[in-house]
Amino acid sequence: MKLREIFTNGIFKENPVFKLVLGMCPTLAVTTAAINGIGMGLATTFVLIGSNLVISLLKDFIPSKIRIPSYIVVIATFVTMVGMIMEAYLPELYDSLGIFIPLIVVNCIILARAETFASKNPPIPSIIDGLGIGLGFTLSLTILGSIREILGAGTWFNMKIMPASYEPALIMILPAGAFITLGILLALINRFTTKVD
Amino acid sequence: MSETWNLGLKLLIITAVAALALSFTNYLTEGPIEEQRIQANMEARLAVLSYAKDFEELGIDDSFTGGDYIMELYRGIDEGNKTVGYTFKVLAKGFGGDMEVIIGIDNEGSIDGVRIGNHAETPGLGAKAADEEFVEQFGGKSIDKPIQVKKTENLDDNEIQALTGATITSEAVSDAVNLVMNYYNQILSDRGADN
Amino acid sequence: MEYFNKLILLFISSMLINNIVLSRSLAICPFLGVSKRVNTALGMGMAVTFVIALSSVITYIVHYAILVPLEIEYMQIIAFILVIATLVQLIEMIIQKTSPTLYGALGVYLPLITTNCAVLGVAIMNIQEEYDLMQTLVNGIGVSLGFTLAIVLFAGIRERLELSDIPEHLKGFPIALITAGLMSVAFMGFQGLIK
Repeated sequence: MKLREIFTNGIFKENPVFKLVLGMCPTLAVTTAAINGIGMGLATTFVLIGSNLVISLLKDFIPSKIRIPSYIVVIATFVTMVGMIMEAYLPELYDSLGIFIPLIVVNCIILARAETFASKNPPIPSIIDGLGIGLGFTLSLTILGSIREILGAGTWFNMKIMPASYEPALIMILPAGAFITLGILLALINRFTTKVD
Repeated sequence: MSETWNLGLKLLIITAVAALALSFTNYLTEGPIEEQRIQANMEARLAVLSYAKDFEELGIDDSFTGGDYIMELYRGIDEGNKTVGYTFKVLAKGFGGDMEVIIGIDNEGSIDGVRIGNHAETPGLGAKAADEEFVEQFGGKSIDKPIQVKKTENLDDNEIQALTGATITSEAVSDAVNLVMNYYNQILSDRGADN
Repeated sequence: MEYFNKLILLFISSMLINNIVLSRSLAICPFLGVSKRVNTALGMGMAVTFVIALSSVITYIVHYAILVPLEIEYMQIIAFILVIATLVQLIEMIIQKTSPTLYGALGVYLPLITTNCAVLGVAIMNIQEEYDLMQTLVNGIGVSLGFTLAIVLFAGIRERLELSDIPEHLKGFPIALITAGLMSVAFMGFQGLIK
C-alpha cells in the first residue's frame, strides 16, 4: 500500500467511528461540544502515532506471547504523557474531558491498530497509519460534537450561531442525544454508501 | 522455565523504560501543573473578592457545624495587610452530585461574588448555575438575612430567582451561601472588626 | 448509621442515577456488542460484576499501598491496566480449573473485559472521589449491577426488535443506538431520586 492510501484509508474506508464502530465510549461521552471532540480526537491521534511508532520499532523485540501486555504498557505510557501535558498547558480542556483521558488506554481502536498494523509494518507506514486513523477519529468526533453543540446549545465552538429565537434542544447534549445522533448518522451513512455500491 | 524468565524480563524492561519516560515527563510538567492550579485558585478567589490584593489561608473552626462542608477559607488582604473580606470554598450537594461553590464576603457585610467550581449538574439546566446571569444575583446581598430561592419574578432584597427547571441546583447554591453567612456571622465578624 | 446511609445512597446513585452505560457513556462496546440475546447479556453482566468488584478493591490497595508511598501516582494508569489484565487472566484460569459450569457460562466474556472501559473507569473514579475501601467496594458493585441491568433490558428490547419490520438502513447499529438513546431518556427519570 502506498503511504497516501494508508493515510486516506483511516479517514474514509476504515473510519473508526462511522465504519468500524469502534471507540464508542469517548465518541458518545465527550462530544457535547465541538471543541471537546477535537481535543479528544487529537489526544487520541497523538497516542496512536506514538504507540504505532514504538510498537513497530519493537516488533522484533516483543515476543508474541506477551505482546498484548507489552502493547498496553506502551499505550498507557503515551496516554499518561498526554494527560500530563494537557493538564499543564490546556487545563480547561483537561477538565472538560475528565476521566476520558486516562480511558484512552482502553480505546479499542489503538490496540486494534497495534495488533493489525504496527506489529506487521515498518515505522514510517505505522506513523502514517496512526495519523490517518487518528484524524479519521478526530473528524468523526468533531462532526458529532458540532451537530450536538449546534442543536443542543445553539453554539458552534462557543460562538452563537443559531438565531436568538431558537430554543436549544437540551436532549442533544445529554447522553441520550449522543446515542440518537450517532444512530441517525450511521443510518444516513448506510443509506448513501449502499446506494453507491 | 528459561522462556518464562525471558518473557518476564522483557516485559520488565518495557515497563521500566515506560516508567523512566513517565518520570521524566512528570518532572517536566509538575511545575507548570502546580502553577496552573495555584493560578486558577487565585483567579477564582479574586473573582469573588475583587478588593483583595493577596490571600492568606485560615483554618476552619471545627466547632461550627451545619449543612454542607466548608473546604477552604481565605482572608483577603490589601497592600497594607488589612483585611478586606473572606473567601470560602464550599462543597455543596447539587442535583448531579458534589458541587464546588466559591463565595466572597466583604468587610461591609455583603456578598461580593459567587462562582461555581467543579460540578456535575445537568448540562443546559443545572449547569447554568455556573453562568454569570445566575451567580451575579448574589452580588451585593446583605449577610443579615438568609437568602431565599423564588420561582417568581417579583423578588425581595434577600431573594434570588431560581434557574428554570433546576430548583435543586439553585437551592444548593443558596444553601452554600447561607452556610457561609452563618459562619461569618458567628465566627469571623468579630475578628474582621479588630483589624 | 449515617455512614451506612451514605453507603446505600452511593449504591443507588452508582447503579441507577449515574448508570455507567446510560448516563456516563462508559462500557458501550460490550453494551452494543454482547446484547443480542438476554442470556449472553446476563452472562456478560455477571462476569463484569465479578471482575469490577475484585479489581476495584485490588487497584485501591495498589494505589494506597504502593503508588502513594513511593510517590509514583503518575504510574496509575499503567499499574491499574496491568492489574486488571492480570486479574482477568487469573480469574479465567481459576474458574476453568475449579468450576467448569461457571467457566462455560462466563469464559467467553472474560477476555473481552480487559478492554471494557468501565473496569478501568471505576478503578480511577474510586481514587478520584477519594472513597474509602468500603465505599470502593459498594461503588464497584453498584456500577456493575447497573451495567447488568442496562445490558439485560437492552438485550430484551433487541430480541423483540429482531422480529420487527425495521427500515433497511436502520438495521443493526443505527436502531440499536437509537434504542439505547431512548433507554437513556428513561433512566434520566432516576435523577433527583436522592435529595
